[in-house]
Amino acid sequence: MRKRARVWIWVFALVVTLSACSSGGSGNTPGNTAGEDAAQKGGASDAPAQAIKITLLNSKGEIQELFETAAQTFHEAHPDIELSVVPAAIGQSPYEKLTSMINAGNAPTIAMLDTSDVLKFADQALDLRNEQWVNDALPWTLDAAKTGDGRLIGFPFAVEGYGLMYNRAVIEKALGASWDPAALATRADLAALFEKLKAKGQAPILLSPMDWSLGAHFLPISYAVQGKTHEDVGAFLAALKKGEVDLASNAGFNGLMDTFELLKQYNVNQDDPLSGTYDEGVAAIGDGQAAFWFMGNWAWQQIKDFATDDGFGFVPVFISDNPEDYGNREITVGATKYLIVDRAQSTPEEQEAARAFLNWLVYDEAGQNMLVKEMGIIPAFSNIEQKPDDPLARSVLSYMNEGHTLQFMTTLPADHWNVLGAEMQKMLAGKLDRKGLAQAIEAYWREQAK
Amino acid sequence: MMAGRRRRRRVFRDRLTEVLFAFPALWAFATVILVPFGYGIYLTFTDWDGVGARGSFVGWQNFVRAFYDGRFWHSMTLTLAYVAVSTVLLNVIAFGLAYALTRGVPGERVLRAGFFAPNLLGGIVLGFVWQFIFLRVLVHLGESFDVAWLMKSWLSSPTSAFWALVVVTVWQYAGYMMVIYIGGLMNIPGELFEAAAVDGAGPWTRLVRIVLPLVTPATVISIFLSLQRSFMVYDVNLALTGGGPYRSTELISMYVYRKAFVEQQYASGQAQAFILFAVASIIALVQVYVGKRREIEA
Repeated sequence: MRKRARVWIWVFALVVTLSACSSGGSGNTPGNTAGEDAAQKGGASDAPAQAIKITLLNSKGEIQELFETAAQTFHEAHPDIELSVVPAAIGQSPYEKLTSMINAGNAPTIAMLDTSDVLKFADQALDLRNEQWVNDALPWTLDAAKTGDGRLIGFPFAVEGYGLMYNRAVIEKALGASWDPAALATRADLAALFEKLKAKGQAPILLSPMDWSLGAHFLPISYAVQGKTHEDVGAFLAALKKGEVDLASNAGFNGLMDTFELLKQYNVNQDDPLSGTYDEGVAAIGDGQAAFWFMGNWAWQQIKDFATDDGFGFVPVFISDNPEDYGNREITVGATKYLIVDRAQSTPEEQEAARAFLNWLVYDEAGQNMLVKEMGIIPAFSNIEQKPDDPLARSVLSYMNEGHTLQFMTTLPADHWNVLGAEMQKMLAGKLDRKGLAQAIEAYWREQAK
Repeated sequence: MMAGRRRRRRVFRDRLTEVLFAFPALWAFATVILVPFGYGIYLTFTDWDGVGARGSFVGWQNFVRAFYDGRFWHSMTLTLAYVAVSTVLLNVIAFGLAYALTRGVPGERVLRAGFFAPNLLGGIVLGFVWQFIFLRVLVHLGESFDVAWLMKSWLSSPTSAFWALVVVTVWQYAGYMMVIYIGGLMNIPGELFEAAAVDGAGPWTRLVRIVLPLVTPATVISIFLSLQRSFMVYDVNLALTGGGPYRSTELISMYVYRKAFVEQQYASGQAQAFILFAVASIIALVQVYVGKRREIEA
């Protein structure tokens, strides 16, 4: 009797559990396009009595609060839609957060992803190619969101750029004269400026040791300067995978590494180069402990709490002493965050609401204002007339307008920043020489070919 | 015959009642632990990447790959060293605190509460607080008092970052283990000490011959908990060192997490997690088995 009862309990528990799993899973099957069709038929004309609740997974932690405000503003304009913003936790990759939400049958209606992760969710994402904003987007920002079968699944949310960030007031105070960032044209100019600043007792540069900064931002400059078009850079990476590139004799790589040595030499933290954090860098550039910092425009949201004026901007990470070389006038710019709309687990009404939100960001004045003025995002849409107020975003925009941009290597393999960032840290700490780094990079890329 | 049937019926009713009472817990256990565990094992034999279709069956390939993954074993060795060092330090310090705080020192209760307090903080918060201490406070002290080994941050070299992790772990859990030891110490009957004193046993003999054997149950529990917590540590690792400098302090949980979600090889990471589970359970079972036998002898 006892045994039978026990068996019975187990059977029951399993049945309940399995049925719970399968009901979650059935909505999950790829190719479920019924919802999509219904969404297009439904239209927004007949607003339901109850507000539609949609969620957005935000992976830009620095604008979480602003995003909540934006959701509120959006709700005021569209009382029939309630948008709640879910943050990805510190140290949590958006990929992981979205994966677990999808597998829990709890997919957010809209998810913000890093560029390299967008296409991995092709089965879950709604095709957005017929949206109006597609025509107003800067064409190159859509490339990373196009699937092999001709769908467009991502909304380019943010354009970002990075380079050597300067604090002009600090430099001018140290030099005792006005200073024009455009006067810097080569690595030698930069070295001369560093030396002058040092002589006046002003620490020249902070080189922060975070693996993502060194591995995902600094090192990839050496890939981006290999060619002016995406195809050239892609061909270089393909050759690297095949083991056909000798980095030790590569001009772009050596140029960047010479600059790295220079930055190391004048680094504020050179006695203990691995001890810094991102927050330390924000404070250092903001209140002038360092005149330069290698970082991108996203940092303004934190820097503005320290800065007393807006004399901030970028100069390129120079790679040689010839001002004409590709990379000496350019800073890195790219679309770094995309929004995808879930089609597998969301109802047609929810998908419709999500599309309304995207349109609101691009075409509604209040939406544009939230995106550009409040969040300080450089928009990927040419119809948006508003310009960000923050000086770093304005600096990136001016490089964009002149066409002086390097490709932001946003579609590198997922563990590139982690693996090669660690090698760059060794280099920064003096535990690895350039030859060793070149070998590590070559080995990493050969591994990718497998 | 009749009586037998009636008894059987009563036994059945009792069993049914038991089962009904146990059902909610069993159900929760099954859905939250057993089913995911079984499903997890199934995933180790696929090449699923975490999204989309469930991947195809690849047999033992993920395990084979884990055995040839040098970094995995580096993390495993590092974790074993970390577990060994922190388990020993934790229990020595926790026992020392408990022993000192059960002798009627004035302010004993306040001190106990103080030592226990770190355990109430979450690992992430604690990691960031200690990161600040290691990066700023200690370096500042080192510079002010000209102490060479404090002038560089502990977090910027692999060896000292490892010890930083140990220090924080010990600080976090020593108070918790102390409470368990205090419980054990309070249960030792006072007359044993009187009898020992009459027989001429000094403080050291009393400690080694009476106290230590009689707190063995507490020791077994404390060591078990220390093993379990230090094996599975992730939050302190993430917030304090983030695996750095240059991935030298990636403990095994962090390595497995990154395998699954950063390198996006979910099934591979799952296989490594299963190996971790096997190693940790073997060690824990051996420890409890050995500990329990000693308990009986005492």
